[in-house]
Amino acid sequence: MRRKQYLSLFMLVLGVALLVAATTVGAATSATQKASKSGIKKGGTLKLNENAEDFDFVDPQLAYRTDDWSMLYTTAMQLVSFPEKTGAAGSQLYPQAATSFPTVSKDGKTYTFHIRPGLRFSDGSPVTAAAFQRSWERILSPKMGSPLGVNLDLQDTIVGGTAFLAGKAAHISGIKAKGLTLSFRLTKPNATFVSILSMQWFTAVKPNTPYDDKGINVYPAAGPYYIKARNPGHSTVLARNPFYKGNRPANPDQIVFTPNVDIDQSLLQVKAGQSDLDIGGVPATAAADLAKTYGVNKGRFFVGATSCVNYMAMNNARPPFNNVNLRKAVNWAIDRPAQVRLLGAFAGKRTDQMLVPGIPGYRAFTAYAIKGADVAKAKQVGGSAIASAPTLNVIHTPTATSTNRAQIAEFNLKQVGFKINDVPTPATNYYQVIQTRGTSYNFVTNGGWCADYFDPFDYLNVLFDGSKLQAANNNNYAYFNNASFNAQLAHAASLSGAARAKAYQKLDQELMVKYAPVVPYLISTNRYFTASRVKNWIYSSYFGSPYFNALAVG
Amino acid sequence: MTQFLIRRIFWAIFLFLVATIITYLIFWVIPADPAALAAGKSATPADVARVRHYLHLDEPIWRQYLRFLWNLVGHQQLGNSFVTRQSVNHIIGQDAPVTASLVFGGAIFWLSLSIPVGILSALRPRSILDRVSMSFVLVGISAHPVWIGLILSYLVGYRLHITPIVGYCNFFPGGIGVQCSGPVQWAYHLLLPWITFMILFAALYVRLVRANVMETMSEDYVRTARAKGASESRVMIQHVLRNSLLPVVTILGMDLGLALGGAIFTESIFNLPGLGHEVINAYNTADLPTITGIVVFATVCVIVFNFIVDVTYGFLDPRIRPS
Amino acid sequence: MAALEVTDLATRFRTDDGIVRAVAGVSFSLDKGRTLGVVGESGSGKSVTFLSVMGLLDPRQSEVTGSVLLDGEQMLAASKSRLQQIRGSKIGMIFQDPMTSLNPVKSIGWQLEEAALIHQDITRKEARRRAIEILKQVEIPRADQRVDDYPHQFSGGMRQRVMIAMALINNPEILIADEPTTALDVTTQAQILRLMKRLQDEYGMAIVMITHDLGVVAELADDVAVMYGGRIVEQAQVDDLFAKPEMPYTWGLLGSLPRLNSSGGRLEQIPGQPPSLLHPPSGCPFNPRCEFVMDICRQKLPPLDQSTVGVEHRFRCHLDDEARARIWEQKRAALVSADAA
Repeated sequence: MRRKQYLSLFMLVLGVALLVAATTVGAATSATQKASKSGIKKGGTLKLNENAEDFDFVDPQLAYRTDDWSMLYTTAMQLVSFPEKTGAAGSQLYPQAATSFPTVSKDGKTYTFHIRPGLRFSDGSPVTAAAFQRSWERILSPKMGSPLGVNLDLQDTIVGGTAFLAGKAAHISGIKAKGLTLSFRLTKPNATFVSILSMQWFTAVKPNTPYDDKGINVYPAAGPYYIKARNPGHSTVLARNPFYKGNRPANPDQIVFTPNVDIDQSLLQVKAGQSDLDIGGVPATAAADLAKTYGVNKGRFFVGATSCVNYMAMNNARPPFNNVNLRKAVNWAIDRPAQVRLLGAFAGKRTDQMLVPGIPGYRAFTAYAIKGADVAKAKQVGGSAIASAPTLNVIHTPTATSTNRAQIAEFNLKQVGFKINDVPTPATNYYQVIQTRGTSYNFVTNGGWCADYFDPFDYLNVLFDGSKLQAANNNNYAYFNNASFNAQLAHAASLSGAARAKAYQKLDQELMVKYAPVVPYLISTNRYFTASRVKNWIYSSYFGSPYFNALAVG
Repeated sequence: MTQFLIRRIFWAIFLFLVATIITYLIFWVIPADPAALAAGKSATPADVARVRHYLHLDEPIWRQYLRFLWNLVGHQQLGNSFVTRQSVNHIIGQDAPVTASLVFGGAIFWLSLSIPVGILSALRPRSILDRVSMSFVLVGISAHPVWIGLILSYLVGYRLHITPIVGYCNFFPGGIGVQCSGPVQWAYHLLLPWITFMILFAALYVRLVRANVMETMSEDYVRTARAKGASESRVMIQHVLRNSLLPVVTILGMDLGLALGGAIFTESIFNLPGLGHEVINAYNTADLPTITGIVVFATVCVIVFNFIVDVTYGFLDPRIRPS
Repeated sequence: MAALEVTDLATRFRTDDGIVRAVAGVSFSLDKGRTLGVVGESGSGKSVTFLSVMGLLDPRQSEVTGSVLLDGEQMLAASKSRLQQIRGSKIGMIFQDPMTSLNPVKSIGWQLEEAALIHQDITRKEARRRAIEILKQVEIPRADQRVDDYPHQFSGGMRQRVMIAMALINNPEILIADEPTTALDVTTQAQILRLMKRLQDEYGMAIVMITHDLGVVAELADDVAVMYGGRIVEQAQVDDLFAKPEMPYTWGLLGSLPRLNSSGGRLEQIPGQPPSLLHPPSGCPFNPRCEFVMDICRQKLPPLDQSTVGVEHRFRCHLDDEARARIWEQKRAALVSADAA
């Protein structure tokens, strides 16, 4: 429970970054292939396409996007980490470089780790406590200019962090590394600290790794793989760490990432065996055919559930959607099945609630028209306020899918009598527009949230706690702010166990039935297609992708 | 000659300033905030402000522009990407050879196709060859390179297994993290991109060459050559071709600059990690230094191409040879 | 023997609008060393006649019939390669516009050498020597330096000299000059004509001088042929033609000749337009513009009649001797009085 509590802190940040990358971080899933031990051979080069952009950084202290992290995971040696296991087992931390979970001092402020002896970097040098000290210094050093640690207020978490960040100290005084013993002195007790350490930022780096605000590209790593070569925007090559002696899988001899591949061309490449997998998934339009030809989760075409709920948001702070009846009317008016069909086969499951399966407190309910638009009901609920409502500014990004989605939604809204002003907005400033308080939009069609950890806090508190509204960068871009609901959220967050789940279950239902600030319509899935030679598919519930080091192409 | 050079250089500087100022102004006008993008979306306003300061985005636009000019002139540096923090010089250094391979290889393809076809069409107007080549021109001008590229890679790459579907290999063997390299692999991987890229230009040039040859054949000096008793082949080679291909040189110089833009489609379809691809990514992430760097580079290329064309033209045509 | 004997030469062009009869049966002969002036308006077929003789028309668009005997050899039956041998060596030709008739991207030396090398088995060095030599012959100053210059570095008159040099470098028997002075200013015209006369004395070639200017003919030619509507309408020795032109069109040409001592009276002009070659008028081609037109002129082409003045003086006209004599007397009196005034 503690672990999840702290996750909510940093994952707030991560969650948003993940939305930027339009990808998902894992949720519990049952859609994974049981790895058969027989027939798995080591060797070969695993060729991975990325139909999205290249990794922005491969420097562990600058990297942050989902793809960055799922790649870095194969090179990482962390104090604590997630195992290469499917389903819920894959989100259970275990001590990796540490001999065990840390000992915590009585005041709850000092954490002491003992590093396993014999761990080595890919250049043969030993992994000592200093390797983990360096990763902390690199994320907070003013010479690195990394926004990541500061976004989580890490400098306030650790003793001496502020002075180090300000350039007034050569080292963080709260971190002591001596041989294989590493201790952290915190400014105050923090139940989430161990889980914070599982982030890819805190992997072992050589103690002499330079401060370089451009980021390092090729460097020794202590995990099963290391980055052997990288040409940003062109390719990234991982090779097996010859000094890695642990039992994490390291099946391919090499893993090669090729970015920027056109998504349709990429599918052709995988079909032809010229590439093994596109880590960005398959084109929506191809899913049905692939399922028909290869079956689902039967060896080539994989559907992995995500924790992502897609929703449309109404601006609760502006007329007409400060009127709860109109918000409810819209929930009746939107054609959910049509929106799901738009995303192709196996895109996911339609919904009208915010929580998703696997999250404690999730219980399916139906409050609105989940099987199609109910125009009559919508008109009845909205009443005469629909006709007198001002013209709605409907905002969406200008991609083909977003435009189609907006068109369907606008059709539904017009059907019940709303007037529409369509506002396509470039992706580069879309979030800036909708996340700034006082925005003039009424209705957003591109919205979504993925769990960063399996707790309802990450959905309901993060997205709907009106007391946390700020001038800009609001995740609560419905601008929903209800004092009584805020209080209930705060109360639920303080609970644990069954009481917590029950409280959130009630809030999930109350949110939609009573307030309806948003229109949830889909719980999405990830769709992958592999070349025929690829074996040992293990889907990560944490990364929303397979473990690359486990895939076998030998 | 000196005056010619001085005039050229001033013109180049003027073009360069105009192109970069326009790039900066466009960025200033569009509402994207690179600092917010770089800071991450849950960043507090204070975080964004810190990133903005780090990227010098808190300065007025004219100071940013002067800073850019100073870095370029004083240090020959185009700055660092907002997104990846890589040196833009390095990014362009990595990408330019790819685009150059596509553009120059494509140019060789389209010239070696369109010149003979254009000449033969001109020599035998209304013949079967002429009609076939004029149909090709129509198709080539009408069809979009994305469509051509997708069809080619599906048919030739995927169905027939003749070429790779997508991808790029370096010309020079070796290199960082390359899976394939060497002239043979390079050409093999570029075959479809070249064809895709050149079809539009080949079509335009067939038409251009045909028209020029026909026009030149009706020139008085061609009649003079025949009156001298020159054979048909001598008339064509010595008198018609050189004169009719002169305008092609000029237009080629302009088109090579234009082609840098056209390369975007082909690079996207065939995943060639070149400048066109880079500029699209940079646009999507509001990465001003990378976009500006590529604009600067493209401007310099166009200026250099035009200069080369001017000089070459001087050699080919004594009438404008600077004395 | 005649250097060039042309009989019943007819040239038709196939166009999208129909068949154009540019030359409709032309016969003449040119003796060695003599000068034939061919006079006519634009579109009278004078240039096409000699392009046909040279075989310079595109065979895909034109059809040439009749007979062209050059030194007794039938040109119209000659093979392509034989024609190429003849062109430039036996017949040289120069054109109206010296500005466009030289290849702008080759030096004039190269172009002269090319002409020599095509027909003579000599080295390039020798060809260059001859090129310089012939440039001196056509009175180009500093020929040994200017040989490497390009056409755009020469004036129009100089370029026409180069053209003449190029036509003469292989010492042809016949030089066809297609309006060689039309594009030049008056002073230069006179120089070029004088040069041609001098060269004819030295080289002894026959000249065909195609022109629309009877003054040029009077100065240079021994014989003259007046062309109209693709036919020869009057031919004679020069003196005979000027002494007694027999045909209304010739009268018109003489009337439109400017005179240096004329006191500013308007030049006469022939009313109307040259005939359409696509749809030629029936009968005499000049009948739509002829002030003396009769019914017969619209029905029947007049035959080539022998004039009373001169030996080989023929003309096409339906007017009888008496009428032609009377009208010419009136015309001449008018011209003389204009001169006197």
